[in-house]
Amino acid sequence: MAEVKSGERAAAVLSEAAQCELLDLCEDQFAQLEKLQNEVILCEPDFGENPQEQSINRLIATEAELKQWLAVEPKLLAANSEVLLQAGKEEMLKLCSELEMVASCYEAKRDKLRETKELEQKWLEQKNQVLIAASDHAERLRMEKETLSELSVLQDTKAKIQKMKVYQERLMESLGDVLEKHVPLPQNEPSANRKKKNIELEISEDLISLNEILEVLMNKVLNTPHDPYVTIDNTFWPPYVEMLLRYGIAVRHQENNFKIRLETFF
Amino acid sequence: MSLLKPFSKLPGLNTANILLVEGEEQFQQSLADALVEETAFTVNVRLAKSLPLPLENEESRPRIDLVVFIINLTSELSFQSAEASLKYLDPGYFLGKVCFMVTNARNASVPTEQLDAVRKLAASLHCPLLFAEDQTPDGVTNAAERLMTILKVAAGLVPMATSLYLSSLTRCTVPLDIDQPSFE
Repeated sequence: MAEVKSGERAAAVLSEAAQCELLDLCEDQFAQLEKLQNEVILCEPDFGENPQEQSINRLIATEAELKQWLAVEPKLLAANSEVLLQAGKEEMLKLCSELEMVASCYEAKRDKLRETKELEQKWLEQKNQVLIAASDHAERLRMEKETLSELSVLQDTKAKIQKMKVYQERLMESLGDVLEKHVPLPQNEPSANRKKKNIELEISEDLISLNEILEVLMNKVLNTPHDPYVTIDNTFWPPYVEMLLRYGIAVRHQENNFKIRLETFF
Repeated sequence: MSLLKPFSKLPGLNTANILLVEGEEQFQQSLADALVEETAFTVNVRLAKSLPLPLENEESRPRIDLVVFIINLTSELSFQSAEASLKYLDPGYFLGKVCFMVTNARNASVPTEQLDAVRKLAASLHCPLLFAEDQTPDGVTNAAERLMTILKVAAGLVPMATSLYLSSLTRCTVPLDIDQPSFE
């Protein structure tokens, strides 16, 4: 059928002789077709109804087709070169248009891929930058680690301790200065009242300075952290104790009024 | 009972004849309109609600190259009608000249058993099973194109290809686990 069809279409631009030849060919084919058709109608076998028999039918038919394909010999469309040329031309044109479609399709695909590639390259560049930055950082850290020896760590720590000591010294000094300047040891004031002065002198004989009170408190806290309380005795000048309590530097014992401790600053 | 036979008549020149069988006649018409737009050869589309075909225009009816059963999955009836119609086809048709086209398969309300039943039917008859979208024009064009590919072969318009050969490659097969309970 297909051969007949393609031959028929080509005939439009062929010479008379070629056209005649083609028509003859077509008629031959059609005659053969009619013959086969009659055979088919005459020998129509009665197929079985159930699916299993149908499967067998199918198998038989497929095998028959296979045999036919194996036996078939490829033959020319027609002997006439004119016909062949025309048919070939037609096929070529068809193939060309199909290939053109394929080409344009692939071009579109290529363009799309190119776009994707550019995008990916941009990403890659960014990723590379990140990688470079990260490896730089790692390298720096590694260098630092290498140059850091035990000795240098020790020296570092020592220097820090030294610095802290100096700082503490300075703090202590300034504390001492402040105390000396603003809260001196209660002493004989050139007061008018002689009697009163005597009494004060009497009291102040074994009084200690605020400096010393703080020192006692601090030492107590540091030496016996479980019992930081110090009993107030007559060496503590009451106004100082009062001042410490009032400004929250010291705290009285909850049960014993005569005991105080340093406020927990740390 | 008159069987529809594949080789009872002579083929027409450059002609392919397709028969669309659909019980509810919803998709038939739009599919037919899409099919006849083919220009390289003449496509005759015959429509039927069910088989057997009426006897009165038996004479004028051309040889049918391909029979398509359109089954709407949302309707149980369309499946039953297609199943009943199958009896009126000559077994020769089942050598590659029948195909099933399912519509509405994406509908969520379709029970899975329905689709399984259609697949089993198609597989037992060794026929291809196509899925089509009948709501959109694109879907209709697509379905027509796929049918056209099969029709061309079935009508003998493709050199070196036969419908039996094609259907051996495209026939529906039932997955082995179709009867197994699913774990969903």
